[in-house]
Amino acid sequence: MADLAKLQQAFVDMLTGLNPELINHIAPQPGLDAKDRAAIYHNAYRIRLTKVLEQDHEMLGRYLGDELFDQMVAGFLSHYPSQDPSLRHFGDRLPEYLVNEPPFSAHGILSEMAAFERLLLQAFDAPDDTRLSIQALQQVPANLWPNVIFTLHPSVRLLCCQFASVESWQALKQADTPPQPELSSPRYWLIVREASLRTAFHPLSHSDYVCLKTIDDGLPFSFVCEAAAGLHQDTEAGTHAVMQLLQKALNSGWLSQYTLPAHMSD
Amino acid sequence: MNASPPYLGFGLGLRTCYFEDIIQTQPDIDWLEIISENYFVDGGKPWHYLDQIKERYPIAMHGVSMSIGSTGEVNFDYLSKLKRTIHRVNPAWISDHLCFSSLGDFNSHDLLPLPYTEEALAHLSERLRIVQDFLERPLILENVSSYLTYHQSQMTEWDFLCALHHQSGCQFLLDINNVYVSARNHGFDAMDYLNAIPKQAVAQIHLAGHSDFGSHIVDTHDQPVCDAVWQLFECYAQSMPRVNTMIERDDNFPPFETLMAELNQAKALAPMSWRSHG
Repeated sequence: MADLAKLQQAFVDMLTGLNPELINHIAPQPGLDAKDRAAIYHNAYRIRLTKVLEQDHEMLGRYLGDELFDQMVAGFLSHYPSQDPSLRHFGDRLPEYLVNEPPFSAHGILSEMAAFERLLLQAFDAPDDTRLSIQALQQVPANLWPNVIFTLHPSVRLLCCQFASVESWQALKQADTPPQPELSSPRYWLIVREASLRTAFHPLSHSDYVCLKTIDDGLPFSFVCEAAAGLHQDTEAGTHAVMQLLQKALNSGWLSQYTLPAHMSD
Repeated sequence: MNASPPYLGFGLGLRTCYFEDIIQTQPDIDWLEIISENYFVDGGKPWHYLDQIKERYPIAMHGVSMSIGSTGEVNFDYLSKLKRTIHRVNPAWISDHLCFSSLGDFNSHDLLPLPYTEEALAHLSERLRIVQDFLERPLILENVSSYLTYHQSQMTEWDFLCALHHQSGCQFLLDINNVYVSARNHGFDAMDYLNAIPKQAVAQIHLAGHSDFGSHIVDTHDQPVCDAVWQLFECYAQSMPRVNTMIERDDNFPPFETLMAELNQAKALAPMSWRSHG
């Protein structure tokens, strides 16, 4: 390995705490010794990335408290050093870390709350697209409706929670005490960047969640209705639920477009 | 590939907290500099605002993550994102830092100093050629602040910059604050550094603040430009043809009017000839 490459590897090893050998490469100068000079970079590395997680996971930080949050950051940094040039992706694997690593893994709400905060960030950065209007849909002939394929707005994210993660996030945001983490049954959420550019989240019924998942999987409208009919154990009730969801989705800007199979769109 | 960028005058770093101020008040700023990587997203607020702002103001793009000095493989995924952003922004020029920040899969998100050696010089010249060929435009490089120097360095930082300019033709974004920070941390004369850089090699100037810890100072960009840096700028500018000059603030953001006051101070300290452009 050439000298430059060796030096850069030594620098990285110092930053990650693997090996302090970099100090042997540092020229002596008045003022600070080599160890202190290396420490400036080492501290800056940790502080910078800690700050990113603090900003991206503010409510998780409040939930954990300072000591546990610092423990989480230290553990996450050693397991998942940043690999992406953009800091916005540094915490992408935080939910994975929290679900696998004790003591955090014993509390499922932590990973779920981190996942929720990642989805808020994803919605914020998602591509722009049009919002489907009721007027545009009215052009679809009735006989083609079963084949219509809807596309969710690129900022839409769907979340199924086993814990009171979103409720806890909301409570912490308002400086209230979070509820007990356990839920009697799962809860469902939709996250979206609204037309006003504000990131919002909405509770969903199980039926609406399954229908939106079906849309997200790229399946046609007939499949969405079938899924709802299965859940409601009644075709008419299922169709009614889907139509209500569709109305809500159009009004809220959750859909960006619809398509028809090529041979049907003429 | 070393065409000089146009002279635009006096600019500000465009940060999200100032989007509304700029759109609402249309202040008298000659150009704005964005952090390139902040726009490596497909949509949302950053583009919503930038699309409006770039209608009115010329934009320069300043990157923080190219890691051009890294001995790891060239990150063409990063360069592709940068090129896509360049196409959308149509900047007056682009810049990044003369440093390394990543190695292989590891990213420090810091501007780590290179040793000033013939090997580093050859490596940088080659990387610069690859990057500029890929981007199909010149890349301006900024000097970074540093807190250490290496045994293996064979020349001063300013001799290294001069050699790089002569070898590659590249131009520099001289951050006067960074020169000051490094001068204090390493005990050299900042004017020696500035005077050594060929005039034609200077494409842009940054003015920023730092944090003084007594034993050393750190380039935090979260404070006003200090008197010593203003003096350095004033003294240096007298000897220079006009150079695009910008106030850079990255944290602890003051009210927009405060930054405008700093921008006006830069104009006042620069020679009269710098105030006309076009």
